[in-house]
Amino acid sequence: MDAGHTITFAVIASHFLVGISRAMILFVVSSGLSFVLGVLRVPNVAHGSLYMLGAFVAHTIATYFGGGSVAFWFALIASPFVVALIGLVAERALFCHLYEREHLMLLLFTFALMLIFGDLVKIFWGADYRSLMAPDLLRGAVTIFSSPIPRYNLFLLIAGPIIAVALYLFSNNTLIGKIARAAAVDREMVGAIGINVSWVFAFAFVLGCFLAGLGGALVSPTVSVTLGMDHDIIIETFLIVTIGGLGNMWGAMVGSLIFGITQSFGVLFLPQFAIVFPYIAVVLVLMWRPRGILKSVW
Amino acid sequence: MTHKKKDFLAVILAGVSALLLISPLAMTGTAQARNIKVGIIDCYSGPAAVYGNDALNGFKLALEEINKQGVLGGKIEYTTRDTKFKVDIALNMAKELVMREEVDLLVGTINSAAALAVSKTIAKEQKIPFIVWISKDEKITGAEGHRYVFSTADNTAMGGTAGGVGLSKKPYKKYWIAGDDYAYGHAIADAAWRNLKALKPDVEKIGESWWKVGEPDLVPYLTSIMGAKPDAVIFCTGGASMTNTLKALKTTGMAAKIPSWIHTAIDHAVLKPLAAEGPEGVTGTIQYLFYYPETPENKAFVDSFQKAYGTPPGFPAFNAYLTAHFIAEAFKKAGKIDKEKFIDALEGLKVKNPVGGMVEMRACDHQAVYPMYFGTTKKVPQYDFVIATDITTLKGDEVLPTCDEITKSRGK
Repeated sequence: MDAGHTITFAVIASHFLVGISRAMILFVVSSGLSFVLGVLRVPNVAHGSLYMLGAFVAHTIATYFGGGSVAFWFALIASPFVVALIGLVAERALFCHLYEREHLMLLLFTFALMLIFGDLVKIFWGADYRSLMAPDLLRGAVTIFSSPIPRYNLFLLIAGPIIAVALYLFSNNTLIGKIARAAAVDREMVGAIGINVSWVFAFAFVLGCFLAGLGGALVSPTVSVTLGMDHDIIIETFLIVTIGGLGNMWGAMVGSLIFGITQSFGVLFLPQFAIVFPYIAVVLVLMWRPRGILKSVW
Repeated sequence: MTHKKKDFLAVILAGVSALLLISPLAMTGTAQARNIKVGIIDCYSGPAAVYGNDALNGFKLALEEINKQGVLGGKIEYTTRDTKFKVDIALNMAKELVMREEVDLLVGTINSAAALAVSKTIAKEQKIPFIVWISKDEKITGAEGHRYVFSTADNTAMGGTAGGVGLSKKPYKKYWIAGDDYAYGHAIADAAWRNLKALKPDVEKIGESWWKVGEPDLVPYLTSIMGAKPDAVIFCTGGASMTNTLKALKTTGMAAKIPSWIHTAIDHAVLKPLAAEGPEGVTGTIQYLFYYPETPENKAFVDSFQKAYGTPPGFPAFNAYLTAHFIAEAFKKAGKIDKEKFIDALEGLKVKNPVGGMVEMRACDHQAVYPMYFGTTKKVPQYDFVIATDITTLKGDEVLPTCDEITKSRGK
């Protein structure tokens, strides 16, 4: 423990809250990746690019509408739909022809797509740093457990579980959701009973893109919107879906919580080496449960 | 064979011989009038591209002025290669520029590790002049400096000294150090702390935190630092991480509670995107500000740059502009396109500083000498983003290691 700290319950509680709020962003993005992995069996490395697109599109929309609070909320809602539309075009034009290929080929293909998306973002938006402002209501910090917690992080603490429950209800209570879940377990059987699997796949891919875009839009008020943010997130989300259980939405939630909370406590207890804590957690989880904590659909 | 025929053959042979003798001279004459080829290796993709592009624009602006009159009867032309912030790619690109494009010298790059690698394995081994224009590792012209490497960039020793001098005048005693966990972050931390401790021995470091470059969530780090209650924090970060740090300083309310110093925090490239949300009260150091000093020269430089690229110049543009003028003046002084003569000419050369005055390329370490500015962020009515105010100017020789110190460091 560092000399500068006095570890009290209040300090631990505030770090716990901050860790969970980070986990919510990770959950939104990794649940999309998990969905694509589960239903399509595509290790989509370009998922991080869609997250980056979500942030850039949100910034553009918010700026176009004047940058106020209304513009922010509109950008937060519209940006994931724009990314989903881009995803639909990519799926119909490219992905739908490649689902039967080997995983290695799909990995290389999505890696190429990530590089292309990166260059397209640079051509379209340029290399300058951008920043999206949170609405007035969510600016500043409130003191909880004697520590200042940014209001935006509290918003994420509320938004994350709402998105999780909405995803759960969607995949369990709607026909398309049920079909997608069934396709994740046994795609041949879904096709055998006369369902157009191609469109089920398209739907799953678009939903994954929507969630990536939503994650990008949600994170944009807390970071600089810049080239390279795709690289940062993709490694973390792949690790999260691996430790959570490939294709399992709740697994993505568990993995994100492990990642976010271990990082936050790592900063508290050993700030010089905080970077390694989430990765140590990943190693320990995989030693304990090599196929992930919750049931993998693979 | 008749005499006439013999005479004719003799004339032909003499003519051919004369041509053979003259041609190398003629070729040499042509070579003197050729263009000077500069190979640029820098980062034009990822978060660092904003600096790579700014430097390139500064270089292009200077070349427009220089090429109007030309250098040694020719022009300065350039070719660029994207290093993607990777050392191996930087090395391959530098080799390709030297071997295939046959450039006369190399310039670049933003990545310190890449700059050091190119300096050692290309510049030093193949005797190719290399001018570093953004990388800030003090080893480039310090411990690992040599005849073929120069720098127009400020370095961690200069930034750290400027920060140390500035902070030593403040009343803070208990410090926390935090930053990006890579070479630049640690180098600037070491330099700032070393200088601050030397100037004010009673300061105390109560803790350190290091995060990965580009870390998106700095709130846990700042919450933890605030819990330790330091008098001030030395942040060692740059680029996109800098914007993240400034945002987190504002959202956690830390900027209003605990003073902090961040080298290059007053760079408008990171403050402008934050608009009015940029934190006030953050102190930083930098070698170029487009609004300070308010000299006619700086105003003219900013106007030309703004007209050409739609944005004011940043510190990379300033460094690159100087680089172009150093190249042009050194070749003029050398009198021919010769790498060794170019180096001899560049040592100790002085060129005009775009803000006024002169900038010298110090002969002992090949480091450009210019002042550093120490200022604190504040909202002002003239701009829609926070800018540096209460600016203190520290002279170049105040912030640079002495030539003796450089010699000592290279002798290790």
